[in-house]
Order: sequence, then C-alpha cells, then structure tokens
Amino acid sequence: MSKYKLTRRDFLKFSGASLFLAGLPIPGYTKDKPPGNISVILLEGGMDGLTAVPPYGDPNLMKMREKISPTNFKKVNPFFGLHSSLRNFTSLMSSNNASVIHATSFPYIKRSHFEGQNLMQGAGLSPFSEKTGWLGRALDLANVPGNALSLDMPLILRGNDDNDNFYPANIKNSSVNTSLINLISKAHDNDEAEIFSKLSHKSSSSSRTPRDPVSLAEYAGKEMSKENGPTASVIRIGQFDTHANQVGAHDRQLKIIDDVFAGYKRGLGDAWDKSIILTLTEFGRTVAVNGTSGTEHGYGTAGLLAGGTISKGRVIAQWPGLSKKDQFEGRDLMATLDYRSVCAACIERSLGLDHDLIASKVFFAPKLPRLYDYLFS
Amino acid sequence: MNQQFRVAQKIGLMFRPGTAIPDDIKTWAISQLHSTSPALGIESILSKVETWPQTLQPDLDERAKLFRLLQGTYLKNREIKNTKEKQAKDHQNKIKHSMIKKDELKFAHRNVYGNDQIRLRLMSFWSNHFTIGDVFMNEALIGHAMEEAILDNLNGSFSDMLYKVTTHPGMLTYLDNNYSAGEESKHNIWCKRQVDCQAGLNDNLGRELLELHTVSPMAGYSEADIKQTAKVLAGWGANQDSTIDDLKGYGTTNHWDMYKTHYAEPGNKTVMGKVIGVGKGGLRQLTDHLASNEYTIMHISEKLCQHFVSDNPQKKDIDFIANSWKRSKGDLDQIHSAVIELVINSRDDKFQWPMNWLFQVIRLSDASYFHGWGSVHSGSKNLMEVDQVFEELGQSFFSERQPNGYSSHKEEWLSGAMLERRLRFASAIHKVGRTKSSPEQIMDRIGANMTTRNLVKSAGQNSNDRFTALMCSPELMGLKSV
Repeated sequence: MSKYKLTRRDFLKFSGASLFLAGLPIPGYTKDKPPGNISVILLEGGMDGLTAVPPYGDPNLMKMREKISPTNFKKVNPFFGLHSSLRNFTSLMSSNNASVIHATSFPYIKRSHFEGQNLMQGAGLSPFSEKTGWLGRALDLANVPGNALSLDMPLILRGNDDNDNFYPANIKNSSVNTSLINLISKAHDNDEAEIFSKLSHKSSSSSRTPRDPVSLAEYAGKEMSKENGPTASVIRIGQFDTHANQVGAHDRQLKIIDDVFAGYKRGLGDAWDKSIILTLTEFGRTVAVNGTSGTEHGYGTAGLLAGGTISKGRVIAQWPGLSKKDQFEGRDLMATLDYRSVCAACIERSLGLDHDLIASKVFFAPKLPRLYDYLFS
Repeated sequence: MNQQFRVAQKIGLMFRPGTAIPDDIKTWAISQLHSTSPALGIESILSKVETWPQTLQPDLDERAKLFRLLQGTYLKNREIKNTKEKQAKDHQNKIKHSMIKKDELKFAHRNVYGNDQIRLRLMSFWSNHFTIGDVFMNEALIGHAMEEAILDNLNGSFSDMLYKVTTHPGMLTYLDNNYSAGEESKHNIWCKRQVDCQAGLNDNLGRELLELHTVSPMAGYSEADIKQTAKVLAGWGANQDSTIDDLKGYGTTNHWDMYKTHYAEPGNKTVMGKVIGVGKGGLRQLTDHLASNEYTIMHISEKLCQHFVSDNPQKKDIDFIANSWKRSKGDLDQIHSAVIELVINSRDDKFQWPMNWLFQVIRLSDASYFHGWGSVHSGSKNLMEVDQVFEELGQSFFSERQPNGYSSHKEEWLSGAMLERRLRFASAIHKVGRTKSSPEQIMDRIGANMTTRNLVKSAGQNSNDRFTALMCSPELMGLKSV
C-alpha cells in the first residue's frame, strides 16, 4: 500500500450512529416503574469476538491469526484477554461491573448481514418473519410505553403500540405549527394520522442533540437516570465488516464501543447501579485471516455486558476450541451459548419479567436456557 | 390527482410548471425511457437552467488524479500547526480536489431540473439496488458509477448493467475486491515467500453479488459457491492510491477494466453448477449466468414492483415483470415498460421516499432550494448545503451505508421524526426557495382531490401553512393519490 494511505479516522463521519430511547412513561400513566433499565449497543457488520476478547490461552489462536491477533491485550484470566482499545471496559470488569459472554451468537448460521441483523433485532425463528423486535415486545409485556429518540424506528424496538420517536431536526428556516399539524393529521388515515397527531402534541424542540455515539450514550444515560426518564435505549454503530485491514479498523471501532460504555456510565450517574448495557452483533468473523488482512463473515462472537447490575467480572464461555475440527464448518468460531439467553436475562433483570414468559413471548423459544444466575447473582 | 401526475409521482418526479403534460401518458412514459439528457442545473441560485460544466464532470482518469491530490494535500496540511490555517487549507483542498459533494449536488440538480424524470427514477432504483456506500477511498467514484454504470446503461440488458456495475472501480473499492488475490495466484505464491506479506481471497463482493445483486438467498447457494465467485472476481480492481503508471498497467479503458492477471486464480471455477472459464473473461460468463437465473428474475422483479407499484405486490404483478424479463431475455427497456404499465394500471398508493418527495415538492412549486454549482462548498445564510439536506432527510446515496440499500417499504420511513422533517422541509422550501407556483395553482394543475383542497383551505391565510399542508397532504406524499 502506498504511503498516501490515509486512516479512516481522518474522515470518519459519525452519521452511521444513532440513538433510540424507549420506554418513556407517559404523564398521568400510573404503573410501577420497572426495576432497572436496559441499553443495547447494536454493532453492525459483524464484530470480531476473537479480536475484542482474544482467547490467548488457546494455542490455535496465534496459529490461525498471527497477523491480526492483538498482542498488547490485557489478561483478565489465564485464558482470555481484553483488547487494548477496551480500557474503560477492562477497569469496569476489574470492579465487577462488566462481564463477557464468549463463543456465543444468535442461532443464525448463514452469514448474511441482512438476514443476521433482522434476526438479532426481530428474534424471529427465521429471517424476516417478525415485524416487531425483541426489546419492543419485552417493553410491551412490561407495560412500559415507548418513546424513541431517532430518525427512524429500529426493528428491535417495534412491537409496542405506544411507541413514538423524536429526533430534533436541524433544518434552516423551517418552522412547525401545532395547529397546522393537527389539521394535517385529520386529513390522514391509518398509522400516519396517529403519527401526525402525536407530533402535534409535542413542543417542537430545536435543541441540538449530539450525533456522535459517545455523546449520544452520555445523553441517553442522563435521560434514563431521570425520575420519569426512559427505560431502554439503543445505540447503533456501524463499520464492523472488516474484510480488509481489520486491525486498524477494529481497533478504532472497539475504542468507540469502549467510549460508549464510559459515556453511558457518566450519563447514568447513580442510576448505573440498576443498569445493564449489552452489545449485539449479527455474527462473528472467520477464525482464519483472509487474503486482505481481514476476516470473512462467521458465526460465534463475543458479547460485552456492563452495568451496576452485573455481579461479577468474568468471561462466561463453554470454550469450543479453535482447531480446525472444533470450528463451525471448518472456518468459524463455534457458538456454544445462545445469545438470546443473555438478552433474556438482561430483560429479566431490568424489566422484572419472568424468564418463561420472556422465552415464550419475546423469543418464541419456550425452552430457552436461563442464564440469569451467571450474570446477576 | 390527474392520471398524468399520479404516474409521474410513482415513477417520475412530477411535471415542472411550463412543461407540456402529455395526453397519452403511456406513450409518453415509454418514450421517456429513451429521453436521455445531459445533467441540467444552475450555477447560482438566480441563474438560468443550463448543462453542468464539463470541468465539474471529470472522467475516471481525472478522478483518479484528483483523489491522489486530495490525499496528498491532506497529508501535507497535517504539518500545519495553526488550527484555523489548517482548516482553511483543508477546505480549499476539498473545493479543488474532492468530488463527492459536487456529485451529490449534480444528482440533486438533475432530479430537480431534469426533463428525463423517469430515467432519473430508474437511476435511483438501480443505484440503490447496486448500493455503493462512501468508504472515502471511493469518494470520487460513487457519482460516476450512478451516471455511467447505471444511467448510461438503462437501455441495454440487465446483464450489461450488472457487468458494468460489478467492474466499476467504485464497487470494487466499496466491497473490498481491489486487494483480493486468488489462493493459487502468482501474487499469492510470491507473497508467501516474502516476510510480512499477506495476500489471498476476500469474499465481500462475491457474497453480495449473489445475495443482493442477483439470485438472493432464495436460490440456496452454498458457502462454496460464494468462495468460487470470489475466485472469479480475484484480480478485478486497482487501488485508488496506486500510481497512475500502475493503473495504466492494469487497464486499458479509462480505469474501468482494471484487471491484475497476477492476482487472478488459475483454473476453472464452478458457481451454482456453472463452469466458469479462466481469466478476465470469466466474470462476464458468471454475470451473464447469474443475470438470467430464475431466482435473479424473481428477486428483482419483486423489488421493482415493491419500489414503483405497491408495498405489497401481488404475485400476478411480479409475474408480469418477470415474464417480460424472460421474453426479452433481460432487456431493460422491456422490463421497465412492464413496470410502467403496472404503474399506470395499479390502484395502489405508494408512499414516496424522502428524497423523491423533496424533489417533487421543489419541481411542482418551481422552487430553487439547492445551491448553484458555483457555490457547492460554501454555505449561505438561507440555504443548507446539499449534504446536510440529505442527511436531515435521512437518505443519501453519498453516505456511508450498508450494501443492502434503502428499503422501499412505507414502514421504514414512517415515524414522527421523519414526518416532522417533511413538514419542516416543506416550510423551508416555501420560505427560502422562491417558489413560483402557489398552492392553488399547483392544486389546479395536478387536479388535487377534495381532501387536499379542504386541508389547504382549512390551513387559513398563512401561505407557508397552506404550502406545507399541501405538500404533506396524503395525496402529495403518495399515501392517497388514486
């Protein structure tokens, strides 16, 4: 590569990041507040669990990926390390406020981003079978009305009839007038009538909400820490699909995740103690390096969890091994833990729903194993 | 709404005031398929509509040079200690060497001022089908691909377009094919003998070629098929930061057929049962094979139907497009004619994408809402810069995004925040866009329905409110236009 190669950081626009807040209580709506709050960091493109949390104790790791495996990781136990970009996360782990689930995935093995992303949010039994998302369904079951802060409404939060969203616009010379919106809403039918109608009840805010993921996380944390703040938030970060030059790209993206965790903690303040924040990605990446210093779409990966509700800092895994015969289809890290169980435990902890109900109504998998005790007690 | 405007809303961009409205909409629409036009636009907000200057439309050779200058100058500017001075120099660098914003403005101008409205909508459809997101290294190539791989190939076969897009340097860069080398390629074998050299396959483009661009997962291909596809593709593409001499060595026609023989995988490949020959010609064999595959035809016929006709297309409508595809062996004129026929006969509503709605609002009211090309990089007090407009809309062909492109489904675009933006853009266009047609004139022209007329009437005396009400009515957003 020529000397003119610029790093992406010089030009990195954060336009790919967006924040969604959900579960804002409606004034006058009486209901017990759920016991905690839940935040999901969606990592689009397929985060490489072997880079984020290298299993350095597995002799096959360096054999398979000598060229791209991080070397200056922080050892968290005799087998697993944490990538050096995850500094904040590492210190959270040492104070028993963070855990890792490794060799895990949603049960999806076909390596398409778009099917995988649909499943990790919709949690249907097959791609594109669900029109609602697992967090939306969980909030609905917990009877928490939703309000998302975003331009669109991500699939993961759909499923709650009371869902709404807002995202302060930044359009020069524009104004909106609530009585006009009211008239417009009456001229419309269906969902759009309702959306316009809700819009007419809002004060049109002109505040500039930050748009980079770290400020969004801090903002979300602050909002969730308020007495009548939202119960859930979702932050979306892209650019994990590192088919080429993975080292620099994943280093930067992991740093963003790490700063997002720190941003949440700052924003949440005392509410950190009842919070859980988890990452979610559509799949991991191949064990072996491809020809362009990157990796291809794979299966098993790692999930990062942090929050004051975590009981013990540790890596939870049934390690499958990295030798060729232990790999899924001779190429990917095998997933030995169903990540839906992790999501279910986080819902149970934050929304106070019963595991069996979550398993059958949120994930349509009545036999989904319960992982709660590993994470929270 | 009159039939003419209803059709123009669904598959065009609306008739600008002063343009003739055809009596026979079908004849007009079909003839539009061949109504090619240079890029029209304005130099400054008050100047007349004319053709975009050639100097702002460089060819691929020139774009490769500009990109190298852009990178080199950014690197040089890093040495500057004074932040303000560095910012000013970086800005100058962008004005002189960066193409992405110029291309985005040209795209906006074309859509606002163009008379080739159906071709422009088809360009957007196919540019979305063959998404090329901004990965910086291809910043000068996205707009070029949209015009020269898509727009210029609208009258050929799907197979031609597929091949042109797949081999476009913008796509080869976006989906990482530039560095992909066959496992048994000369380069890979050489590389293995070096210290610290790495080479081999990258399957990113191969995977999306099958999943998104042609047969889709419905076809049930295997991981081995993806790998074989990547082997066919190995060798295609050249790095944007190679020297000009290197680039010349790899291709012959203006950088578009860059093929590095020493990166190619020797031997035949087999993709979904089809044996693909060795060498540069192999890719064309593969794209031809994929283009005529039954699953490709069904996948894209459904997508066309969903985008232009109905969110929930009927089987018979999808079959109608698929049959014309099969009869004509993938002739895009025939395929597009079938889509036009469905649009004319369909009673279904089709909620318009934010960007198409914006263009339609500007065209119907004859507004000037985008900067002229003379001030593409300079903001102004009243007008937003072109990239900000699309960012606020939540939809831009020039942004970083995933290769599956934007959804055509209403539910993906219907939210409070999205609708608030429509209200605000309508209001801003009326306030600062020097609209030349009043809501009443527009309603008479399009034959607005009673709901729309009553809504505008109820909005009272304030002309900004009346304009906003009209443009955000169910009829003008495509929610109720029959």
